[in-house]
Amino acid sequence: MSKTIQHERESDMNEETILEIRNASVTFDMDRGTSRVLNDVSVDVKRNEILGIVGESGSGKSMFADSMLNAVVEPGNLSGEIIYHPEDGQPVDLANADRETMEKYRWKEVSMVFQGAMSSFNPTQKIKDHFTETIKAHDHSLSEGMAHARELLTKLHLDPERVLKSYPHELSGGMQQRALIALSLVLKPRVLVMDEPTAALDLLMQRSILGLLAELQEEYGLTVVFITHDLPLVAGLADRIGVMYAFELAEIGPADQMLENPAHPYTRDLLNAVPNLNTPLDEMKPIEGSSPDPVNDHTGCQYASRCSLATSKCHSTDPPFEQAGDDHETACFHWERAREEIPMAIHDDVPTSDFAVQGKQSAEPVVTLDDVDVHFENKGGFLSQLRGESETVYAVNDIDLDIYENDVVALIGESGCGKSTLGKTAIGIQRPTDGSLDYRGQDVWETRDGGSGDVSFNEIRQSLQLIHQDPGSSLNPNMSVAKALAEPLKQAQSDLSFKDRRERILGMLEYVGLTPAKDYAERYPHQLSGGEKQRVALIRALFMNPDLIFADEAVSALDVSLRVEMMDLMLELQDRFNTSYLFISHNLENARYLAGKTDGRIGVMYLGNIVEIGPAEEMIDNPKHPYTKVLRWSTTDVDPDEDVEEPPIRGIDIPDPVDPPSGCPFQTRCPKAREQCTKEAPSLEASNVDGHSVACFREQDGDHPYWDSEPVEEVDLETDIFGPDLPPAARPETDTGSGSQTADD
Amino acid sequence: MNYYVKRLGRSLLTLVLVITITFGLTRLMPGGPVEYMRAQLRAQNPNLSTEEINQMVQAYVGVKPDEPLPMQYLNYLVQVLQGDLGRSTFYDQPVASIYANAIPWTLFVLGTALIVTFVISVTLGALLAYKEGSRVDTVVSSISVIMNSVPYYIAAIVLIAVFVTWLGWFPLSGRSSIDIAPGFNIPFILDVTKHAVLPMLSVILTGFGAQTLGMRGNSVRVLGEDYIRVAQLRMLPTHRIAMRYVARNAILPIYTGFIIQIAFILGGSVILEEIFRYPGVGFYFFNGISSRDYPLMMGGFLLISVAVVLAVLIADLTYGILDPRASSGGGDSEAY
Amino acid sequence: MTRTDRLEDYLAQRYETFLLAWSDWRFKLGLLVVVTFVLMGTAGVMLVPKPAYSDGGKWDAPFAGTENLFGTNQFGQDILAMLIHATPAMLLMIIGGAVFATGIGALVGIVSGYKGGRLDEVLMTISDTAMMLPGLPLIIVIGAIWEPTNPFIVGILVSINAWAGTARGLRSQVLTIREESYVEASRVMGVSTPSILRKDITPQLLPLILVNFVMSGRGVIFNSVALYFLGVLPVQNVNWGVMLQQAYEAGAVTSPTLFYTILFPLLTIVILSWGMIMLSQGLDRVVNVRVRARHEGGPQE
Ligand SMILES: Nc1ncnc2c1ncn2[C@@H]1O[C@H](COP(=O)(O)OP(=O)(O)OP(=O)(O)O)[C@@H](O)[C@H]1O
Ligand code: SF4
Ligand code: SF4
Ligand SMILES: [Mg+2]
Repeated sequence: MSKTIQHERESDMNEETILEIRNASVTFDMDRGTSRVLNDVSVDVKRNEILGIVGESGSGKSMFADSMLNAVVEPGNLSGEIIYHPEDGQPVDLANADRETMEKYRWKEVSMVFQGAMSSFNPTQKIKDHFTETIKAHDHSLSEGMAHARELLTKLHLDPERVLKSYPHELSGGMQQRALIALSLVLKPRVLVMDEPTAALDLLMQRSILGLLAELQEEYGLTVVFITHDLPLVAGLADRIGVMYAFELAEIGPADQMLENPAHPYTRDLLNAVPNLNTPLDEMKPIEGSSPDPVNDHTGCQYASRCSLATSKCHSTDPPFEQAGDDHETACFHWERAREEIPMAIHDDVPTSDFAVQGKQSAEPVVTLDDVDVHFENKGGFLSQLRGESETVYAVNDIDLDIYENDVVALIGESGCGKSTLGKTAIGIQRPTDGSLDYRGQDVWETRDGGSGDVSFNEIRQSLQLIHQDPGSSLNPNMSVAKALAEPLKQAQSDLSFKDRRERILGMLEYVGLTPAKDYAERYPHQLSGGEKQRVALIRALFMNPDLIFADEAVSALDVSLRVEMMDLMLELQDRFNTSYLFISHNLENARYLAGKTDGRIGVMYLGNIVEIGPAEEMIDNPKHPYTKVLRWSTTDVDPDEDVEEPPIRGIDIPDPVDPPSGCPFQTRCPKAREQCTKEAPSLEASNVDGHSVACFREQDGDHPYWDSEPVEEVDLETDIFGPDLPPAARPETDTGSGSQTADD
Repeated sequence: MNYYVKRLGRSLLTLVLVITITFGLTRLMPGGPVEYMRAQLRAQNPNLSTEEINQMVQAYVGVKPDEPLPMQYLNYLVQVLQGDLGRSTFYDQPVASIYANAIPWTLFVLGTALIVTFVISVTLGALLAYKEGSRVDTVVSSISVIMNSVPYYIAAIVLIAVFVTWLGWFPLSGRSSIDIAPGFNIPFILDVTKHAVLPMLSVILTGFGAQTLGMRGNSVRVLGEDYIRVAQLRMLPTHRIAMRYVARNAILPIYTGFIIQIAFILGGSVILEEIFRYPGVGFYFFNGISSRDYPLMMGGFLLISVAVVLAVLIADLTYGILDPRASSGGGDSEAY
Repeated sequence: MTRTDRLEDYLAQRYETFLLAWSDWRFKLGLLVVVTFVLMGTAGVMLVPKPAYSDGGKWDAPFAGTENLFGTNQFGQDILAMLIHATPAMLLMIIGGAVFATGIGALVGIVSGYKGGRLDEVLMTISDTAMMLPGLPLIIVIGAIWEPTNPFIVGILVSINAWAGTARGLRSQVLTIREESYVEASRVMGVSTPSILRKDITPQLLPLILVNFVMSGRGVIFNSVALYFLGVLPVQNVNWGVMLQQAYEAGAVTSPTLFYTILFPLLTIVILSWGMIMLSQGLDRVVNVRVRARHEGGPQE
């Protein structure tokens, strides 16, 4: 199943160009002037290669993708040439072709997967009709076409019959994305352009799709242009990588060179800004400033305003492409200096942990979750209620968690695994179905229901705050920043005078770098960027003087280069305000960054259960639960030498939380599952490392029935991440584990 | 399944509510039907006993004044469900039989009008969306707004003035001419159509505007959806995109508007049929009002309500077929 | 910031919204029409004498001289004067009905949408049912039994189930707004529910409420004129519907020479209702956030 793709392809002979993009520009006429959202980009796409195009949001990646199919959205205007070289026959310029010509090439030869698969299917039509109509529209044989479609779907680990019969909304995001890939390949095109095909998906699904894609590319001799904002993601997949900045191509070269020794200052800065597991925490640094407006004129280097090496020449003259290595071109005057003066933070050896901020956790927990369950009833209609039919979503199951003062707990897990529900329960805005939530030893919901206690419910309410994921909706559009920030002060410190409030607001704005503060205070949310909004939301939460802030994917919506900045700010303010964070993330890097810097913990959730929790670096270096190991494995290191494989799991799709598997929740996908795992659920038990708990039978002693039961399914694994099939005490000692021999139970 | 059960439940509930309202109005309104009937009957038959008067009241309005209220309600409910709507004082006939005769005509006129309105709005709206910003778009949109600001009864008056009085193309009133024998033959059908054209036109002309604009707006929005772009990229034939992609998805939101329109238009039959003197349900209902014939009036109200409930139910159920997402039901939102 | 500062701030914001609406020609036209009618109903009544049987002869033709511009009816009353003097009552009806329908609709919609759960279910079942009642017959039945004369009450009567549509529309809007993070943030900060409804939810809904207000007003015109035209309600003063009825009965439809007696009231009704539609459509920019974003410049992809 997880086949390794040879990296050195035996394709030197057809190292020829299949798609030639010449001076492609896209412009929009707007009230403010002409917006040039793709500026004179020229690239050759080679036959049978995977070309990765990387850029931040708004850098013009989608415009580039659309140009390749001459499919720029309506008022947009494409100029330049897009020359397609068919295997046999004359080259055609797709940018200037009529509909008849396009019919021959679009989708048939050059096909595309759009950003946002969720909206690429007609919601009122079955998946099958999408395939048949496409086949018919191009006069292909229906039976052959459908047979190919079924084959593709099967290869993508979908059940063809079930998927074809479904309406789009009946499939999960990952299934829709794979069905869309099949749809784009059904006519056997030569080139596949993919615009952020995995951006909306979970880590494991992303990895699975990349693995499948590599297989398909190999099998059908495809040429793939893979567009993403996530540099590490394409590291192992792409043969070449191009980096876009401000509507232009900044640099392009072989993947390994682009990652190990890029020449353009922007590429180097970008790599240093991306949180990843290999970089020492204190060497990551954000890129200051923001990217230019497409309406401004485009003379000089676009990066000049943010570049540390910029000279006056950079501001006045467009840097031409220069050869920076074999097949490696970069648009920078000073690329040689860049290589010398901008060090790369990535080191191959795993760093020793040294923490910037030392947590000073208390002995008594601030918040205690005791055996908490949250189940949602999907009530259904009146009659089905009578018949007692109702669906229960098991969002959170039997969770115990203590959060201390100045603590950081980072939870990770796939979407729908109950992270947010757990977080909401922890700050008392979601009532648990069972179990209790204590605030400093006092039952929160009892207090709320009128029980007595030292602390009033209102005080508890104010002590537990949150920051949301989406900066776009985190602030009331009708309130100025000052007004939005006055609200928490009024609630928490009602004795402050108007003047004091104003002073504190301005002071805080200043502190988080929103200067001039007076100016920012009067702004409305639509006048702020995403990162700025998120900072205001953070201040708003902190002004309540909370003991715990639940940060629900608070940095996920921000641009890669802004994430580190935001997390640093969160940590800095933690120190100042004496607060704790329950931080949710869907990736291990951010979790490690935040939890690692404060001596905090990382918890891993799967289907409503915490399956493993422990000190941050310990969780990264020495994960014990098979699921954590898979996550760790899937977290792409910025390493072009490693080939893409599918993650070592037995199934791609997560089980439905309405109908969770019996026994261990991970049992349906765990490569190490045995009969015992289907019968009994393992509980979270402390391991030999302090504060590290795991819920897996493999951490049990040799006399546990797991060791004697039969594997559920024989799986051939190429990785050895799961270690030998032996009880902990019998395993040979490894140098990463800190004391696996001295089990003291 | 869920969706259908919900809709069915809602219809039943509305039905019960309507019956309760008619009962309430009949029985409880001061100066309402029961009091009025009793006073009238007593004036006409001064020598009858209270008991006999009460019995006569029951025959007419289905409510016996001296029984306890719950009993009255129950009896009324049973009677109505059995199809007994009481007896008209004006025509001195069972109300049910009067309406049984009138219903098909009303359904014919208004049903046709509704469907035609819907078809016109959908096609026109989609067309305008494709031509967004063009001259045709501006002109037709403006006309739609203007037509939408005309009450249907005003349209009826103008249509009569133009087509009956000045041009003399259509007859003024009735369902059919007296001199043509009813039957399934061409002259009769033509005659019936001639009588129905103007009432239908009044509904269509004043009703298409709002829905055309709604459909236009939806189509414009759908045209901007990703799946339209993908369909175009897949090089699907234009007509397939127009029908299966744009029209199909744009209709869904205006369906709700259409459903509300049903109640509005069926309710409007009262005034329309009065103006055209078209003996349908609304016509008799209004006769009931003007002659203070309470059983006739209440029966008419009940019937029109039932018609609305049924029409809405049909529309709801077909909506479930049209939109695969409807029947799977949206997630119930959390309560604060 | 002092109180006046804040007031200024508030006004500036409202003014911006107004300018945004004003930039739409439909809004301008609609406003013009509505303001004209308001003037007619206030100043007009004072300037133009009440219609009387002595205004002119029977059926004086319109535009025949400076007297009786729109002609007279069968009783010799000046038609223009009648139209003007019927305006105040109509305005009162519109206000009564629109305030009632929009007020109840907004209350039900906002509470139902924000509170959710059982309450929402109950309220929405009631509104769905109310929406399915055939409005006109119900109004006629109640009107016939009850015979109200006060214009306010008539306005409310004819909007008896108009609130339901408003409630539905606002509720669905509230459902999306309440999921916005800032509303949850307010809740978590311990801001009281009324305060959240006032500060976080209602301001977003104001334009939509305004549109509903205008459309309910139009509904009041349609229904009340219908009731008076049918003669269901007792008549006290001059009224557009009654004018229609009198002209209709006098044969204005069957006699081309008398058609003007019905044409003028008819046009009056259509123009007012058209103006109100224009007004509500002109508010589109303010209501529709997507359009607004485009207006403020820069695509918000
Ligand atoms: N319809 C449009 N009219 C005008 N400008 C547009 C339009 N669509 C996109 N743009 C602008 O074009 C620029 C590039 O957009 P593009 O969609 O290519 O970015 P992207 O790199 O794909 O970003 P993301 O990662 O967010 O998808 C942006 O500044 C964007 O605001
Ligand atoms: S050209 Fe100048 S400004 Fe641009 S990246 Fe190179 S050094 Fe920096
Ligand atoms: S308990 Fe069994 S199924 Fe669960 S994670 Fe451990 S080995 Fe896998
Ligand atoms: Mg994009």
